[in-house]
Amino acid sequence: MHHSMTTSLRNALIALGITIVLTGTVIYAVNYLNNARLAELKSIEDQLTIDTLSLDTQFSLLESAPCDSVASSTTLTSELADLGTRLAYTENQLGNNNEQVIRLKKQYSLLEIRDYLVTKRLAAACGTKPVTVLYFYSNSGDCSACDKAGYALSYLRDTYPQLRVYSFDYHLDLGALKTLIAVDKIRGELPAFVINGKYSNGFTTLADFEKEFPKGALSTSTPKKK
Amino acid sequence: MSVDALACPFIFIAIFFESFVLVTLLSKPARDARARKPGSATPLVAVVVPCRNEAETIAATTDSLLKLNYPADKLEIILVDNASTDDTPAIMARYQAHPNVTVLHAPERGKHKAVNIGIAATEAEFIGCLDADSFVDPDALNEIIPCFASHRVAAVTAAMSIHQPHNIVEHMQNAEYSFGITMRHAMASINGLYVTPGPFSFYRRSVVEALGGFRYGHQTEDMEMALRMQKAGYEIENAPRARVYTRAPHTVLKLIKQRTRWTNGFLRNTLGEYRSLVLNRDHGVLGMLILPFALTAVVSTALLFLLTISQLTLQIVRGIEVRLGVPLSYALAPRYAGFDWFYFPTSVFALLGFIAMVASLALVAYGRHLSQTPFHLGRSMASYLLYGLIAPLWLVRSTAHVALGKNQAWK
Repeated sequence: MHHSMTTSLRNALIALGITIVLTGTVIYAVNYLNNARLAELKSIEDQLTIDTLSLDTQFSLLESAPCDSVASSTTLTSELADLGTRLAYTENQLGNNNEQVIRLKKQYSLLEIRDYLVTKRLAAACGTKPVTVLYFYSNSGDCSACDKAGYALSYLRDTYPQLRVYSFDYHLDLGALKTLIAVDKIRGELPAFVINGKYSNGFTTLADFEKEFPKGALSTSTPKKK
Repeated sequence: MSVDALACPFIFIAIFFESFVLVTLLSKPARDARARKPGSATPLVAVVVPCRNEAETIAATTDSLLKLNYPADKLEIILVDNASTDDTPAIMARYQAHPNVTVLHAPERGKHKAVNIGIAATEAEFIGCLDADSFVDPDALNEIIPCFASHRVAAVTAAMSIHQPHNIVEHMQNAEYSFGITMRHAMASINGLYVTPGPFSFYRRSVVEALGGFRYGHQTEDMEMALRMQKAGYEIENAPRARVYTRAPHTVLKLIKQRTRWTNGFLRNTLGEYRSLVLNRDHGVLGMLILPFALTAVVSTALLFLLTISQLTLQIVRGIEVRLGVPLSYALAPRYAGFDWFYFPTSVFALLGFIAMVASLALVAYGRHLSQTPFHLGRSMASYLLYGLIAPLWLVRSTAHVALGKNQAWK
């Protein structure tokens, strides 16, 4: 009995060691991958910052919007949308209190605002008619319809590529975002939307939401294949 | 708190236990047990077959015993009918004339009563019990007898697998039994066994008598006897190459019924009469590790299962709610199409769960190798993945039964 107890105690300690090493390795690997995700997001954001600044600088140099950059602006918006999806996934994995996630979200929101302004300037100068949606959501538990609204917007964006959706975390502590909220007079219940400059809030169904769009905005002439 | 976070400690314990089994397998006592050769000693042995309504299999069971490679004059086969209402008594009667076979009747229902009547009818020191739906390998007995070399050994268990598994439920159980072969071998090497299963466990008669014979044990008399032996300070050995094949429930419902009975018995025995063994240093690894682990596993699996089901239902309801009104072609399409490492799902829980699963599959494969039982490994392993979905059902059911004080009959 004593002999087997000693053997078992030794075995249990070795087993504990193995388990701790395995668990440690798994935690390390998960952290490593999460950090790699954050690094990837950072590098995409850096690239988009350069592209946005470049487009912006082009405008300044020419003192008007260069209309041949409509295409590159569209590409930028779709890259921004992809970044948004990645950021949302990462936020879901790491939680919305993660400092790095918050920093990336701030940078992302700035990029969105700049892209929104560029799009508006291009529209004014070159006669393009993009449909822009500013979408204000919250992850702080004060927006029960935000999941539905977010999903509906993803669907609309994927189905109608001419749609430019800019999502903002209403509670993000960012000066430019606060100014945008003040300028667009966002108030009351979330989710809130500004569709081509027209304010609305609350979300019930996709069908009702589609009615908020200007006529012809959701045309299926160039539906994107999923 | 998420289910993942709650489940992590339990997965940690599961991996710890699997590691413990692995280390134990590699340590000297288990290596010595594996090196044990079939013996040449042939003491007088008796095999008691208690049966109640086993007309379908009793003949094959008896025939397999008659084919044991053991001197005929040293082998007694005692068939005990336990108030069967089918053709069992008639089929038994056919063997009455055989010089090695004794046919007895235990009119009062109860497996323990039938076994005791069988034991009383023989002088043999080593007495085996064989469920009437099980069949032994001809060399099984020669593997078992040498395990009684030490006088501390009160019982020896065999290596069980499923008799001719056909459907997925049987293959799944076969993998589980193979896992059991590995576990039993490892645990026996540190005297950690607390069940002497119905299919071909052997007992030292003097110990069984000294302990008062078999008695009612919450429909798990083989567990009750093993726990009683452990409590009295005896050892329970295992013969990993003593192959015995048993018929298994072939439907999920029957399986759940059988396992609920087993788990009920385990909970009632260990939380009742044998509670003093749990966390008792005097009972070594059985008291300090194995019984606490087994109890934790039952209760935590049941709780986690209920929690997972409720969370899953909530998620599905929310998923449907969010997608309502969006065309199905979009709603049902995968969200992140194509492979992108970025979206590779990583959570500590999922990865630890994966490690635990791979380890248990390795223990299944090792059981097959150790016992040299011929079966289709791939099929059993694939079916084994179902086990995790079904096992919680009986764990929940029996935990509820024990908590509510509900009883169940053995047949």
